[in-house]
Amino acid sequence: MQGTGVHLDAVKKSFGMVDVIKGVDMQVKRGEFAVFVGPSGCGKSTLLRMIAGLEDTSGGSISIGERDVTHADPADRGVAMVFQSYALYPHLSVFENMAFSLRLAKRPKAEVKDKVQEAAAILQLTDHLDKKPSQLSGGQRQRVAIGRAIVRAPEVFLFDEPLSNLDAELRVQMRLELARLHQKLGATMIYVTHDQVEAMTLADTIFVLQGGHVQQSGAPLDLYDDPSNRFVAGFIGSPSMNFLDAKVVAQTSGGITAELTSQPDARFDIALTERPAVGTPVSLGMRPEHISITEGVGLRVTVDVAEELGGVSYQHGTLEGGEPVIFQQTGARHGMHGTVQTVMPDAARMFVFDEAGDRLR
Amino acid sequence: MSQANRRNRELRAAALLVLPFVFIFAVFFLYPTYKVVALSFTDAPLIGEGNWVGLANYTKLFGDRLFYTSLWNNFYFVLLTVIPTTVIALLIALSVSKLKGRVQALVLTLFFLPYVLPVSVVTMIWAWMLDFQFGVLQPLIAAITGKPVPVFKNPTWVMPMIAVVTVWWTNGFNVLLMIAGLRNIPADLYEAASLDGATPWQRFWRVTWPLLWPVVSLVLTLQLILQLKLFDQVYLLSNGGPFNQSYVVLMQMYREAFQLNNGGYASAIAMVLFLVIVIVSILQFQLLRIRGRK
Repeated sequence: MQGTGVHLDAVKKSFGMVDVIKGVDMQVKRGEFAVFVGPSGCGKSTLLRMIAGLEDTSGGSISIGERDVTHADPADRGVAMVFQSYALYPHLSVFENMAFSLRLAKRPKAEVKDKVQEAAAILQLTDHLDKKPSQLSGGQRQRVAIGRAIVRAPEVFLFDEPLSNLDAELRVQMRLELARLHQKLGATMIYVTHDQVEAMTLADTIFVLQGGHVQQSGAPLDLYDDPSNRFVAGFIGSPSMNFLDAKVVAQTSGGITAELTSQPDARFDIALTERPAVGTPVSLGMRPEHISITEGVGLRVTVDVAEELGGVSYQHGTLEGGEPVIFQQTGARHGMHGTVQTVMPDAARMFVFDEAGDRLR
Repeated sequence: MSQANRRNRELRAAALLVLPFVFIFAVFFLYPTYKVVALSFTDAPLIGEGNWVGLANYTKLFGDRLFYTSLWNNFYFVLLTVIPTTVIALLIALSVSKLKGRVQALVLTLFFLPYVLPVSVVTMIWAWMLDFQFGVLQPLIAAITGKPVPVFKNPTWVMPMIAVVTVWWTNGFNVLLMIAGLRNIPADLYEAASLDGATPWQRFWRVTWPLLWPVVSLVLTLQLILQLKLFDQVYLLSNGGPFNQSYVVLMQMYREAFQLNNGGYASAIAMVLFLVIVIVSILQFQLLRIRGRK
């Protein structure tokens, strides 16, 4: 298993008394685009910096390819990093920024020129090579930072929230460019973001981090369709999943019947193999797109904000008990703002979590 | 109508805000400056009017051997202080910036402490430390040269020792400027450089040095101007001696004005020193800017 891209084995990191990374195992295959995603403070940037060698590793081991690099110098790891701030050398031209590592390695001039020109062509920077970073736009600076990484031809590219300083439109555009770049270069890439949309669109494998642990890893849609705990279920997907408190009122042959705490007349039959005892409090997770308007009985939601996006709309409201609910409408353009709607979630696509937040299957 | 009114009101407010400064500036800076220029063309004593003598003071000055000695001593002192103090400040700043938190603040305070002392206290301290009979530094000097040296009475030692005192006294401020400059360099540039394979040496020459250059050139220019104005330390430590080896331009101006009562001649000396400082610092600034742009 070691012959692959990046391999982390029981990696730990503590700052003084504080444990930031509490034993992370992961396997990023060669050529894969892996994304670390999680809320701020979850340790995802720290983990990336540990792979880069910018932070010491307190325990466990990190290998890249065949080599154990746990205590190797950053420069000897075969990684290149794109920083959130881009970290371009302000006193050097775009060309010299990209050539920096080759100059340090005292490569021949012709080789430096070829490699920089090649990277510049990939990133459409050829016209800007003589400029200083301060003369470039945010997106161009971002490309220079990527170009600097490409020139080094590393085994692994590391990206630390590279798009978070760009405006929304440019972010979408650069996201696509990154996806294309990955296809073109075929290199292993590890990308850190707090934005789950970036994670979903870019990743081959997502690692959801929280509290210094990997909560779940897998292909984006696997995480979306089959989250292993409440945190992942709530983090992946936009707008996020609704969670409603409920109680098991009966065990059926194929699962359970659960009743909402805040609206006891709403009962759902849910298929489960591990059936909790009657009376167990559970949390029911349902995605906004799996809740639809019904004529019959259902959840009575008072809509207070309607986000109309044209193609779809998100209706934000509350149950009678005050619990917030979001549901999605496609095509409907009648203002639901201020009305009470009766909606019914699709019980087949409902997730059940126990009190600790673990998924019941 | 109302627009004119508002404009008048704005002008009144502007005048009210600017006038106190203009008044103080005119009385305490502009008028004395004019007076120095005017005096330098007269044979006036220190107090009272004199007669117009045209360029006589300047002609006399350019034939005055003591003036050339003083000017030479000034440049010798600049050579002994400006670049050394900048290099020392840079080295101290680089080491201090490696420290963290309170230790850094403490060490920085220690280096800055001499700067808050008045010059008379500084010279007193050093006069005692270097005292021929009782000075705690004399054993050190004796160890190097073989015998104790009365440094402020020795023509070879006097200027370098005044330079040492000056560097010790003023270095803290330069360290502070350098630290501020170093803190302005983002940490991720060093991280990027170390990922690019830069050794600590290369990180300094390729990242720190070019990015700190504006601060370094500022320190160099400030120091040049400051050290050309040397007077207090010389006056207090050696009084220009021995054999005029520490006689500097401001010393000469002081003697002419306040001891020999030659107000006009002293003004001419001040004017020439002023022009020298202007020319040298503009030259240096241009030189540094060209290097910085490279």
